Amino acid sequence: MITLDLLLHFWTMPFMVRAVIVLLTLGITAGVVGVFVNLRGLEFLTDGLTHAVFPGIAAGVAFAGAGGLFWGAALAAAAATVFLSLLARRGVSSDAAVAVVLVAMFSVGVVIVSRSHDAAGQLEQLLFGHLFTVSITEVFATAGIGLLAILTVLVTMRSQVMTAFDRDAARAAGYRVTVVDLALNVAIALVVVSASIAVGNLLVIAILIVPGALARVWARRLTSLFAIALSFAVLGGLAGLVGAFTLSVGLDIPVPPGAAIAAVFVAAYLLALLVFVIVRRPISGGLR
Amino acid sequence: MSYFDRALIVITIVGVLTGLVGSLVVLRKRVLFAQALTHATFPGAVIGILLGFSMQLGAVVACALIVGAITLIGRITPGGAGAASGVLLAGGFAAGALAQAFGSSVPVDMTALLFGSVLSVTTMDGALAAVALGLTLLAVVFAGKHIVYAMFDPEGYRGLGYEPATMDALLMVLTTITVVVTMPAVGAILTIALIAAPAAAARALTARLGVMLVIAPTLSVVAGITGLLLSREFSVSAGACIALVATALLGVALVVGRWMPRRLRGEVAA
Amino acid sequence: MSEQAEEIQPEPVIDLTNAAFAYEGVVALDHVSMQAFPGEAVALIGPNGSGKSTLLRGLLGLLPLADGSLKVFGHQRRPGVTDGIGYLPQQESTEPNFPISLRQVVMMGRYRRIGFWRFARTIDRSAVNEALEMTGLTSRAGARFGSLSGGQQQRGLLARALAAKPRLLLLDEPFNGLDQPNRAALLTTLRELKLRGVSIVVTTHDLDLARDVCDKVLLLAGTQVAFGPTDGVLTLENLQAAFGDVQVEVDEHRVVIPGHDH
Repeated sequence: MITLDLLLHFWTMPFMVRAVIVLLTLGITAGVVGVFVNLRGLEFLTDGLTHAVFPGIAAGVAFAGAGGLFWGAALAAAAATVFLSLLARRGVSSDAAVAVVLVAMFSVGVVIVSRSHDAAGQLEQLLFGHLFTVSITEVFATAGIGLLAILTVLVTMRSQVMTAFDRDAARAAGYRVTVVDLALNVAIALVVVSASIAVGNLLVIAILIVPGALARVWARRLTSLFAIALSFAVLGGLAGLVGAFTLSVGLDIPVPPGAAIAAVFVAAYLLALLVFVIVRRPISGGLR
Repeated sequence: MSYFDRALIVITIVGVLTGLVGSLVVLRKRVLFAQALTHATFPGAVIGILLGFSMQLGAVVACALIVGAITLIGRITPGGAGAASGVLLAGGFAAGALAQAFGSSVPVDMTALLFGSVLSVTTMDGALAAVALGLTLLAVVFAGKHIVYAMFDPEGYRGLGYEPATMDALLMVLTTITVVVTMPAVGAILTIALIAAPAAAARALTARLGVMLVIAPTLSVVAGITGLLLSREFSVSAGACIALVATALLGVALVVGRWMPRRLRGEVAA
Repeated sequence: MSEQAEEIQPEPVIDLTNAAFAYEGVVALDHVSMQAFPGEAVALIGPNGSGKSTLLRGLLGLLPLADGSLKVFGHQRRPGVTDGIGYLPQQESTEPNFPISLRQVVMMGRYRRIGFWRFARTIDRSAVNEALEMTGLTSRAGARFGSLSGGQQQRGLLARALAAKPRLLLLDEPFNGLDQPNRAALLTTLRELKLRGVSIVVTTHDLDLARDVCDKVLLLAGTQVAFGPTDGVLTLENLQAAFGDVQVEVDEHRVVIPGHDH
């Protein structure tokens, strides 16, 4: 019963209120950007970007304390996106090169962390986030960076949709596809940065990929795609938070909230897929 | 045998293995798939350790599950296999973190699983890697030509009366084995560097398949040993050092390859 | 008298009677009846999606027979049996950046005989050399396959099919995008093969070519429109029946069908 009691009153605890606000902003940001990640099939680039931002986070924390996290991450994200766009521009389409370089950036982060004093503990916090202990400054930073990400996508909305649908047609219509790509990469990187505090570097990928993928299972129109992705990202985030809170405080199982949120997301996706398969006939071999 | 000698032996075995299999993975353009597999080993290893059996066994099971799930989901859903593997990848990390939280009575060294700890590999880890290398060598010697034909020209291979998907499956099995036995040394996230970088570097240096299959393992072993020595010198994470050396080798190879005469690369008739 | 006729008439290499082929239960081509004898070349002609490639895949045993009968070398077709058959897929199916030499590609034609547990022997190497010579590519054998010109690649893939010493050769659009010299070289090779008694089935859009090298034409449009000696089949009525409302021009002996791109 202590659990229920805690749950009913969690909004009276300041740290929970902060966590809820962070998750609301994150849900909206990741929902919007995630739809484009899915439409453009950029799941693996996203995975790579989360790894690439890591050294920035690590260096920021190592050299400038907790406040340096955002600046370091922003710098690393900028470097990674510029690098990726350069590769694309020079016609290097090699998956291998992209994967290797992004992992190499990650390695730099690991080296930086492994030089510091409390390596293991610090690393875990950077990887899995610390949603329960976000400061008020971090709340504002998360919201501000998230807003930037949404603006970046919204401004280039029309060209993003066009490029996602038919890249050559977009180019023919006069859009500068490289710039469109760069804008989306920047937006993804911004979400990675803004989510690093709450869910951690390793689990950002869940909130960026799953809402779009889940919406794609059911939605057949662009508007419903956004509607489903957005509401799912927000609700799923809150459900994960409640779950982590219940387990950690109520049952004394120290679950990182980021992990709980990611688990809720993935479980919901699999469930949605299962329902989809049962309700509708699968499109056999139609998408090859 | 000191722990450092053991580490050297293991990293050499793993280097030859990743170089060989990595070449096939790079040529088949399966790097992203291999990346998903490396991530999948993480929750598998955590659960394997928590349940008290080998982490490699847990990792193999996790990889098999993820390969099956990606194939299945990719078939039934819009958005295809890319989205599916992305989601499962995220699920893998979450599952790993959750498993650790729930089984907190057993100590699991997360950083060792994610970034590897080549200095604490056991003789058992080394033996497993050696067995994996033996199996892979057998597969490459006997089925290698078929794997190569199937990826070079699947339609032509089918016309020969064989099924290219079979060779794809074989490559998938080899990739899984490689990822699983490499993970203890280099870690779930950094293994992909050792698979992709030496192979891509070898491809930049030669247009001959046979030569590539020699250069890639060599570079991989060089990256492993150099990274290991550097990490001892500067007392930083060995997995990260190995990944960085491998990347540096790729960078050098890309530059050298661009300046190399076409004849030397075997691009035109000798 | 009938016994005598049977002795004179050689056994057909391909014998199709009212055959139909289907992809996952959907019939893509039906009512095909044709024969091809040793040393004969048959052109498969029809608009895109008319079932030309379907028939080739059926002959290869990659597609199950939905109806009728299909005999190759006198035996009912069984999937997975490709002995004696050489196949040249459409050129786009190869990986352009692959690090593999022309000689290695041609050796692939021997893989069916080499199998999994054996390595290439002298007999395999001499078959490869012979195929390279026949296609005029001996001097290019060491070059990387992707570095060859499109026409040379096409001839290289033909050499790969020839390395298996086939009695039946199946060619899918071999003349697509070939320049004049490569086209002439390919035609010469095909004529020489016919003289050696090899049967050839070739899909093409090029009616001139069909007249040039083929003895028979099978005109397809999802079903069989006509089959017989080249000149008898390539008539204006037949072509219009196969190509529908596509403009067909007939000036003197040239029949040009515009607008065929993949």
